Order: sequence, then C-alpha cells, then structure tokens
Amino acid sequence: MGDLITTLMACHFIASICAAEIRNLKTATGFLLLQSLLLAGIIVAFAEQSQNYSLYWWVAMTVASKVIIIPWLLFWHIRKTSNTEIKPLVSFVVSAIVLAIFLIAFYQTMHTYIGFVAPSPHAAVEPTRSSLTLAFTIFVLGLYVLVVHRDAVKIIIGLHLIENGVHLALVSLVPQLPVTTVLGVVSNVVFAALMLLWLTENIYKAFGDADTLKLSSLKR
Amino acid sequence: MVVTINPTAVSVLPLLVFLVPLAFSGLIFLLGRYGRPFRDGLALLGIAATLGISIVMAGRILGGEVLTWWNNNLYVDGLAALMELAASVMGVIVVVYSMWYFGEKTKEEEAHPFTSMTSYYGQILLFLGLMNWTCATNNIIMLYVSLEFTTLATVFLVTFHWNKQAMEAGYKYLLLVTVGVIFALLGSVLLYAAATPYLPVSRVLLLTELGTVATKIPTNIVLLAAAFLVVGFGTKAGLVPFHAWLPDAHAEAPAPVSAMLSGIVIKVGAYALARTISVFAPHYETIPLFIAILCSISMLVGMGMAMVQDDLKRMLAYSSVAQIAYVVEGLGLGSYLGIYGGLFHLLNHTVVKGLLFLSVGAIIYSAGKRSVNELSRMRLKMPITAFAFFTGIFALSGMPPFNGFASKFTLFLAVGQANLLWAAIIGIITSLFTLVCFFRAGYRIFWSEKDVSTGVPGKTSADKHAAGAEAAAAAEVPAGMWIGMVFLALTAIALGVFPGIVHPLLDNATKCILRILIGG
Repeated sequence: MGDLITTLMACHFIASICAAEIRNLKTATGFLLLQSLLLAGIIVAFAEQSQNYSLYWWVAMTVASKVIIIPWLLFWHIRKTSNTEIKPLVSFVVSAIVLAIFLIAFYQTMHTYIGFVAPSPHAAVEPTRSSLTLAFTIFVLGLYVLVVHRDAVKIIIGLHLIENGVHLALVSLVPQLPVTTVLGVVSNVVFAALMLLWLTENIYKAFGDADTLKLSSLKR
Repeated sequence: MVVTINPTAVSVLPLLVFLVPLAFSGLIFLLGRYGRPFRDGLALLGIAATLGISIVMAGRILGGEVLTWWNNNLYVDGLAALMELAASVMGVIVVVYSMWYFGEKTKEEEAHPFTSMTSYYGQILLFLGLMNWTCATNNIIMLYVSLEFTTLATVFLVTFHWNKQAMEAGYKYLLLVTVGVIFALLGSVLLYAAATPYLPVSRVLLLTELGTVATKIPTNIVLLAAAFLVVGFGTKAGLVPFHAWLPDAHAEAPAPVSAMLSGIVIKVGAYALARTISVFAPHYETIPLFIAILCSISMLVGMGMAMVQDDLKRMLAYSSVAQIAYVVEGLGLGSYLGIYGGLFHLLNHTVVKGLLFLSVGAIIYSAGKRSVNELSRMRLKMPITAFAFFTGIFALSGMPPFNGFASKFTLFLAVGQANLLWAAIIGIITSLFTLVCFFRAGYRIFWSEKDVSTGVPGKTSADKHAAGAEAAAAAEVPAGMWIGMVFLALTAIALGVFPGIVHPLLDNATKCILRILIGG
C-alpha cells in the first residue's frame, strides 16, 4: 500500500505541474481533471490503509466537484473563448527550476524538521509526512500560478491547485472530519469556481481579452 | 477580574437568526419579479424579522444566558449577539436607504440576473443570513466555510452596476479574498489536528474548546497556525498587505453596498480573529507584537493612501484599512481592555463608516459626483447630509464627544498597558491624519466657494460647465435616505456622550472571549 500511495503522489505532482504549465488550456484542464482524480485515488488509499471508510465521503465529493463539475465548467468556458493561454510572465524553464526548489525545500523540511510543522505524532510518520510535503508543494505551486500566469483560466486552475493542496493537508491531518463539514468545504470550491468563470466570461466580453494584467483600470 | 461561567440554554434562536433571512432571500428570488410590493415588502419583512430575533437573543444573553443548538455547534454568546445585532441594524438601514437610492430600473436592467432589484434585495438577505451563520457557528472549519460564503454572497452586489470597473472590482474581490481565506483554512486545520490528542472527537472542532488546549499545543504549531489565520482572516478584514481588493470593491459597489461592506463585511474577518487569535494571544507574547506591527503598518499605509485620493469612496475605503487595524490591534492583545476597546471600535466603526458611505451615497444621488474636486458649496443644498458627514468625520477621527473618541481612548490605554507605547503613538498620529484628510475633503465639498467647473476634468469648457451644472442643481435627498443617516449620526453622538449604553453588551462579549481563553 505504501508503494501505491507514493506512486499516486508522484503522479499527482506531475499532473499538477502539467496543469500549471501546459499552454493549451484544454490539455491543462485535462491534467487538472487527472490531478483531482489522483487526489481521489490518494484518499481511497488512505481510507483502505487506515480502515477509515468515512474518507469515502471525501472521495465522492472530490470526484463530483473536482473531477466532474469544475473541469466541465472550464471546458465549457474554454470552448467559448480561446484555447491558447496568454503568454505567462516567466518561461517554463524558470518555472521548472522554481518548482524544483520548492519541492526540495518542502521535502527537506518535512523530513528533517517535521516536528516544526507536524501538529500531532500521527503527522510525523509516513505516509502523512510525504502527503504533507506534497500538499504544501501543490499549495505553493497554485500560488505561483496566480503570480506568474496572466490568463484568467490559468488563474482558476491555480486557485484549484491551492485548494487541492489544502484539501490534501486536511485529509492527511484530520481524516475523521464530519460529512457536513466536508460538504461545506467542497461546495465552497465549486461556487467560487463557478462565480469566477461567470465573471471571467463577462470580463472577456467587456474587455475583449482574458489577460488579467489588463484589469488595471482601477489602479489610481 | 472575575469571569463567571454563564449557563448555556438550548434554543432554536441561533438557528432562526440565519435561517429566517436565508428563507426570505429565497422568497425574494422567487416572488420578487411579481412587483415592487412583493420585492420591497419581503425585504423589509425579512430584515425586520432578523432584527427582532437579534434583539430577543441580545436580551436573553444580557440576562446571563448563552444560547446553543445542535450539540453546541451553534453557539451565540455576547460576542456573536453583538455582531448579529450590529449587522441587523445596518441591514435595516441599508434596505430602507436602497429603496430611495436606486431609481426605477429599465426593463433590461430588471431582466438582467445581476442588475435587478430583486437580485439586489435577495443577495442582501442572503448575505445577512450567512453573516449570522458565521457568528453563530462554533465549528472552526465551518467558520471558514461560512466566512467564504459571505464573500461569495456579496460578489454580485459589488458588480451590481455591471460595467467594466464593477466587474474588475468584483473579480479582484472574489479572487483575492478566496485565496487569502484559504490560508485561514490551513491554519484551522493545523489547530484542529493539534487539538485532536487532547479532546474527544465530538468537541475537537468547537471554537469554545480552543482555550482548553491553548497551552497544550506546541508553540511552533500555534505560531504557524496564527500566522495563517492572520493572513486568511486579515485578508477578509482588509489589513495591509492583504487589502488590495478593498479599495476597488468599496469604490465600485453602489453606496449602500459600500456601507455594508465597510460596516459589516470586513468586520467578519475581525470577528473570526477574535474567536481564534484572541484565545492564544495572552499565552504567546509574539502574537500581540506581530499583530501590533501589522496593524500599525495598516494604519499608516491606509491613511497615507486615503490622503492622496480625490474619489470620496476610495478615500473612505482606504480609511477602512486603517480603522479595522485599530479593531484587530485591540483584539490581538488578548487583555480585557484590549478586547473591550477592539469590540467597541468595531461597533463604532460600523456606525460611523456606514454613516459616511451613506452620506457619500447621498452626494452621488443628488450631485451625480463623488470626486472632491467636482463638488463645492453643498452645505446650502444638503444641510442634513452635511451634518451627517461632519459627524462621521469627527467620530472617525476620534474627536470628543463622539463615539470614536471613547473606543480609541480605550484602545490606546490597552496598548499602553501592554507596553506597546509606540503602537499607541502611531494610532494617535493616524487619527490626526484622518481628521486632516476628511476635514479637508468635507470643507471643500460643503464650504468651499470655488467654482466647481474649474476642478472638473473634461476636454472642453462646455464639458466642464455641464458637469458643474449637475453639481450646482443638487438638493437634499428624500427623507427615506436621510432618516438612516440621521439615526446613525445621533447614535455616533449618543455612544460618545453616553458610552455606558453599550457597556453591558460589550462587557458580556469581552468576557465571552476571556471565558473561552480560560477554558470555561
């Protein structure tokens, strides 16, 4: 089971990078869908390993919201606008170097100073330790996407990555979360994504562009 | 000081206080299209019912009870009751004001899902319900969930004018606050996980249990979680450097919505900080210091930016960045006086900023302008608005005998008591800047004898004179609009002259936080 979880985590990380960096928006959304599916897979593995079947609620809601609803909304939006991402502020090579540094830094932190960030003894051992490394890396990757990417769709993908990172940390650290709370957390994500897409589409109509850098008429 | 433990009473009121406005919101969305009596009537009825429930709850809490529902998952104590009462009162004023502020909409505007008055009132009630849910919830993760929902519920109020600027402001508001508040979820997760070994599963998520584990959780986890919570809830509150969304959203929203954003919405962030950070602050010296530094920067940057604005709404928005910092600074101290002063200023700022935004709304309604340079001699045309505006300015600046003086003085004493004299000095300097900035603007708008046409931007002299003529034709707003402003102005004076009026509620609310802090 340990090897399976490690493999799923590695694939999850690669899918996250692809979703963040591929400039064809439909393909990037496809990788986001895959990333969410892998997140669901990681949670299934956690559920089986810890015999905590309440985690299947997380799986069901992750599949419904992150694998079905949000990617569908993104595909629907991309079909109406443009399929090619507006050129980001930095190149892929620079992004790859920055992300490698983040990954190594979090890996080192989690394996050397785990006591500093692990809130409980359970969090200081595998597989929680590795999943926390992954969660923080994905979280920072999402923030990085928000900073360096200009395309409105990529901004939504970045936001989604941030939320997936936090949700992975949530599942790893507090797997016994009640269903109502899980529903609340997940429904937030769906509504936020839906409203952002709604606004993005109208901004696209009004400004004729999906470049978020051009949203600066209010800077005074 | 003795903090007594109040008996908890199981009551349906904490449930009703958010379900009633949510139900009325649904009814407005369903029936609002059948005409103004339905739409306005349901909005008034819904907001009045919510206010009624808030008053009954506040009465019971002042009688010494704490109201709970669903195994303590909903928990209304003095702090929650104070917030819900303030929100409901502002809600009534905003709804009544809006009935006059917005003229008759065109058929196209009414048919549009985001510019119709049906959608407007529906969203106001929706927000109020979610705001009350945030205050009533006792679950640390649901606090994040409901707080994020208050953002989602107000996005289309910010974009209500549905033009380029409004959409841009709404987009920034939604994106920046959503991203910021996720940090609070991360902080909540860390606290929840750290508390798990010390509490039974049924109590581990409860905010009221944080005090019992505050000293048991490892210091590094508390500090890390506190940093995440400050970033998350600080973004919602509009603290520097997480404030980028605030000036745009406040400036581009319709004036009654700006009054609500500044008067209530940003206070939700401060409330969440009071529920979480205030519990840990007395045990960790670093937290009050960190918050005092952050808040002092917020005060200086907020007022500095306000001073260079010409747009009245942006000026008020930036001043909110500075004023909310007073609130958070007090709450972050974790002492009785600090929390009391913070909550008192929270209440006063709700009254005063609501008053100022509604006054600016009256100027926009009457003169069609919101730029200081485009307005002059308005005191003759709008004497009631002039009274309301200047009352707001003096109260905001902390001048005696207005309410801002009482709360700021309490805060300065608390900050001094905590050996943070430099923070008190920065607070006093910011108050002086506030007075200079707004008195200068108020003087130009209401007293200055300059010819407005010379200050109006425009390509030709005909443009300038046309714009100037619109301002010159200004007159006092209808009674439905100024009645709320006068009520808030008189409240600002009354709370300054007789601060004891709200002492029982503030004292109760402060002791509620301290009770959680000592693990009661």
